[in-house]
Amino acid sequence: MIGLVILGTFLMLIVVAYMVVSDEFLAGSVVYFMAFGLGSTVLYVIFSAPDVALTEAVIGAGVSGVVFLVSLLQTQTREDEG
Amino acid sequence: MNLKKTIRLKTLLSTLMVSFLTITLLGILAQVSGEHATLGNRLLSLNHNLTQSANAVTSVVTYFRGLDTLGEVTILFLSIFGVGIGINRSEHLHTILHYDNALLKMGARVLFPVIILFGFYIIFHGHLSPGGGFQGGVVIASAFLLMFLAEGDAYALDHKILTLVEAFSGVGFVLLGLLGVLLGGLFLSNPLPLGTLGQLFSGGVLPIIYLFVGLKVAAEITVLIEYFIRTHDARDA
Repeated sequence: MIGLVILGTFLMLIVVAYMVVSDEFLAGSVVYFMAFGLGSTVLYVIFSAPDVALTEAVIGAGVSGVVFLVSLLQTQTREDEG
Repeated sequence: MNLKKTIRLKTLLSTLMVSFLTITLLGILAQVSGEHATLGNRLLSLNHNLTQSANAVTSVVTYFRGLDTLGEVTILFLSIFGVGIGINRSEHLHTILHYDNALLKMGARVLFPVIILFGFYIIFHGHLSPGGGFQGGVVIASAFLLMFLAEGDAYALDHKILTLVEAFSGVGFVLLGLLGVLLGGLFLSNPLPLGTLGQLFSGGVLPIIYLFVGLKVAAEITVLIEYFIRTHDARDA
């Protein structure tokens, strides 16, 4: 059972990682990156590293996504003006 | 002609240097084997006598490698400082990624104290359960992020209090280390009574160090998020 969960999470991570680099819409890439953070959180918990999982859940799936999105929006408005 | 010779000499010297370092490293690696290689097991066996912390990761981060944690916190402070210098601040700031929604506002106001409480729970139980200063601090900062997203420009932070918390916890960390010098003879040693394993008030200075680290990280990440999410109004520029 746990093996199936690990296998499923790994497969999901591979698919999501491909989506991150292949998405044409950059904001979509950021959202997939946050989903990647959530998937790796699950993996950290399964491989008994809950300390890292807590950090990854907040940083990887929350704060870094917001920072990326904000930087993306800012640079895009400047590109449109110029 | 002369230049070519110097370059060749430099190449020869750097090749010699690299090969010397490689051989030394290989020699060290060949010696470190067997029981000496399992540093983790050694730290685990020392953990019960020295720190009485149920979470061995905490005792490594705040006790065995406490100086590294001080350096890490300093690096975080310096990077936030760099962001503050790099991002131009002005009077007319406006929050991006904000949508005016009454339901979102209400939900954020209800969730905000719960997330703060959870963050402090993670900090205070850092020596008992998974988590600690960094994790709890980041959780507290994410509560402020939620408020920025929900309330927008209406949500103002008191920078005086943030700066005070940040400076106080940084100085407190160093003072705890110096207290260790006075009472225990070593920087960041553990002069307080250890207590019993599994109690909330146990582990000596470990929970206090994690409290300082947590407050510092929370204040710094909150300021970082505010720097990023509040920028010039693009229409003004």
